[in-house]
Amino acid sequence: MTAVLSFDDVTVTARMSGRKIDVLRNISFELGQGDIVGLVGESGAGKSMIGRVISGLLPDNFSVSAGTVSFDGMNLETLGKAERRALLGRRIAFIPQEPLSALNPVRTIGSQFAEHLRHIGIERSRHRALMIERLKQVQLRNAEEALLRYPHELSGGQCQRVLIAMAFAGEPALVVADEPTTALDVMTQAHIVRLIAEQQQVHRTALLFITHDLRLAGHVCRKVGVMYAGDMVEFGPASAVLKAPSHPYTKSLLAANPDLTGPRRVLPALSDHMPGLASFAGLAGCRFAPRCAVKDQDCASTRLPPRQIGEGHWVRCSERCEAGVNTESREVISVPAAVAGAPAAVAFDRVRLSYHASRGFMGLQRSRFDAVKSATFQVQEGEILGIVGESGSGKTSIGRLIVGLEKPSEGTIRVHGEERASGAVYLTHRDTQLIFQDPQSALNPRRSVMRLVTQALEVGENYAPESERRAVAEALLRDTGLPPDCLDRFPSQLSGGQRQRVNIGRALGARPKLIVADEIVSGLDVSVQAHILNCLLDLNRKHRLTMVFISHDLAVVRYLCSRILMMHAGDIVEEGPTEAVFSNPQHPYTKALLEAVPPDNADKPWPPVLEADPAMGALR
Amino acid sequence: MSSSIPSSGAFKAARPPSALAEALRQAIRSPRVVIGGSIVIAMVICAVFAPQIAPNDPANQDLLNMLLPPMWAEGGSIDYPFGTDSLGRCILSQMIYGARVALFVGFVAAIGATLLGTTLALLAGYFGGWIDRAISHLVDLWMSLPPVVLSVTLMVGFGTGVGNVILSIVLVDWTRFCRVVRSEVMVVSRKDFVAAAKLLGFGNIRIILREILPSVAPLIITLFTLQVGIGIIVEAILSFVGLSVPANVPAWGQMIAQARNYMYQAPWGIILPIIAMFITVLGFNLLGEGLRVTLDPRLRKRNI
Repeated sequence: MTAVLSFDDVTVTARMSGRKIDVLRNISFELGQGDIVGLVGESGAGKSMIGRVISGLLPDNFSVSAGTVSFDGMNLETLGKAERRALLGRRIAFIPQEPLSALNPVRTIGSQFAEHLRHIGIERSRHRALMIERLKQVQLRNAEEALLRYPHELSGGQCQRVLIAMAFAGEPALVVADEPTTALDVMTQAHIVRLIAEQQQVHRTALLFITHDLRLAGHVCRKVGVMYAGDMVEFGPASAVLKAPSHPYTKSLLAANPDLTGPRRVLPALSDHMPGLASFAGLAGCRFAPRCAVKDQDCASTRLPPRQIGEGHWVRCSERCEAGVNTESREVISVPAAVAGAPAAVAFDRVRLSYHASRGFMGLQRSRFDAVKSATFQVQEGEILGIVGESGSGKTSIGRLIVGLEKPSEGTIRVHGEERASGAVYLTHRDTQLIFQDPQSALNPRRSVMRLVTQALEVGENYAPESERRAVAEALLRDTGLPPDCLDRFPSQLSGGQRQRVNIGRALGARPKLIVADEIVSGLDVSVQAHILNCLLDLNRKHRLTMVFISHDLAVVRYLCSRILMMHAGDIVEEGPTEAVFSNPQHPYTKALLEAVPPDNADKPWPPVLEADPAMGALR
Repeated sequence: MSSSIPSSGAFKAARPPSALAEALRQAIRSPRVVIGGSIVIAMVICAVFAPQIAPNDPANQDLLNMLLPPMWAEGGSIDYPFGTDSLGRCILSQMIYGARVALFVGFVAAIGATLLGTTLALLAGYFGGWIDRAISHLVDLWMSLPPVVLSVTLMVGFGTGVGNVILSIVLVDWTRFCRVVRSEVMVVSRKDFVAAAKLLGFGNIRIILREILPSVAPLIITLFTLQVGIGIIVEAILSFVGLSVPANVPAWGQMIAQARNYMYQAPWGIILPIIAMFITVLGFNLLGEGLRVTLDPRLRKRNI
């Protein structure tokens, strides 16, 4: 098998304010015809930078400073600009992360697809037939009609199908898929992954699959390279890397992912977060060393060469370390239990939440949309209730109803036995707090961390004079696991995980009895996510804090919650203790959702052969 | 591909003291802010220390030296560096004293328009609903009147005088503030931190003052600066037609109006006050534009 793409000891250097920083260090791997290689790593690992090296679209001050990148026997770095550009689309195709922003919103699908075909040199008379054939291959129904639609008239999954069809249209030798399913729902992800794999098989294309999800890569790819801060720390056959990971980072990455089956063990959380580009210069040896649990004094200064540990499996770490990280003997955690005999913390009784939209001439026609149709459920004191559903299922609306940011259109909500008063939301119920999904928007950029976490002390019965606030802030920082020197920083100076902790700290500052956490880990890397989850479990245990945890991620919900509510299109379709729902799902939607998640076991075939979901394939 | 762009978090500064100090540090680096700010400061110094700076009493008539050219031209005199007008008054001294009226009207009118426009904008943008509809319709209605016609009509109604000039500028220009600030307030009001403040028990007034106003302050500062320049021009127009200060108080518009009669014999009498006005307004516009770029975090990021 000849290599379609090969990286031979490639180093990419950035010049930043006079300093030279190695953004990628000595990357080597080969990708043969019909092969699939996965690049896995958290944000900032440099995995997308590899995609940029291939496309020749490195940022201005970045350049390949050593090594060779060859495509089909040609050295890409010695080719002229025009020759490289000619390769893109024809021989090397890309599937982007954000399908909606990759398509031009003011042009129809057909015109964009046709332009792409013209670019790859297909004569005009064949365009229409070819486009329809390709769109049918990616299971887009009414392909003829789809050509006349604009991108916003299709769903994210449908746009991604179009882009997959476009990528494979020119029969390229290499397709680079950069996080192609990250922006999509779980069920859509399974479909898209299946389509990419099918197309790859049909055309015998070499596929480079970039993702942050090691489990997903294990199912899609034959070989996997694990990236950390610009280094490839481990490379090998997917099954070997997933079953017998060798590098401490690979091990912790795998262990930080909550399991879908088996006992629930404490997630080991790495300290700190991945270093940013600016701090690369200070990391001469193994860049993972500062966070590594089994490092020795040499790790920080010397960088080990790749060490062969199996058939095509190598790792950049010493033999001594291998025994060090033991991820199996972790403590099994108990399910947060409800306080027996206590009244329900929250009780929903046939609650409906509707939005009205005015349409037509002068807004005379009114249409109603039910975000929540008729919800009846209770949250017991002391438990963590999970609300699971895909985007648009109404789970966020339930959270906003609990804290009082939305008023029910019908039905009653009781919080701690008291009926939630209608009218002004503020000044009435501070005992329920919401942790918002996006800390970027939830933290006022002009408040310091100190003034953010003590915001609740500025008014009302929690009021405390300014002299006492610092002590409270320090206690809250300890509770959320933030270093005390964060107090005087601003949100823009914190990492994503730290921001989310401040977000949690502010809600805790109001001394609530119940906290609603809305997708608070969805934007975070797994190692940071593990931290936040453990922090929530801690708070639940220490302060007997009742929690409602809203998420689309089934594994995370299983780790944290005692009971779950499954939501679909505004309805609660299933409710029960977490283990019961996972092991014996009743509703077809729950079953489908559970099947769509890549399983822990890499040998289990996934994605399943899914019936073409009518909701996905058909045009809206 | 987007995720491969180094995140701004990677370039964390050690520990800058505050957002405001950081913004000011940025501002000082911008050439627009430096040039505009220097012009504005120079003008303010002229206005405040006019009696000390001006070479002559602006009201003093030297009837022997009427329509004298500037000192560098043939027949000019060192006593009257910019020459004299048709009544033999020192043009430079009039220009320096004229800055007093121009800046006073510019600043006070801008403060008035800012207060009125911003208050209504905060109410409309934060509360929405019928309050927003009422205020927005009022703004639309108000803006449908041509501004020059409106201000002249108001002046005729109020009568002449600096106070009335300021009032008419405020009444014409508050809509500009209201419209721009309102849309920004609406954006900020939808941020989750405003909802979080509600959940923590903050009242509406407190949310507006503590959470929303600081976020829209850069925009208000920028608009204010631009408004001073506009106010100076409007004052000049109104004093040109004699609706502003009394005839014995020097003002740039009045100087232009008087010099107009001798435009062909003594062109400097009309050119010099126009230059003064041009430089002042340019200074405020440069400062405003520079502040807009440096105080707006979205635009600032692009420069780094």
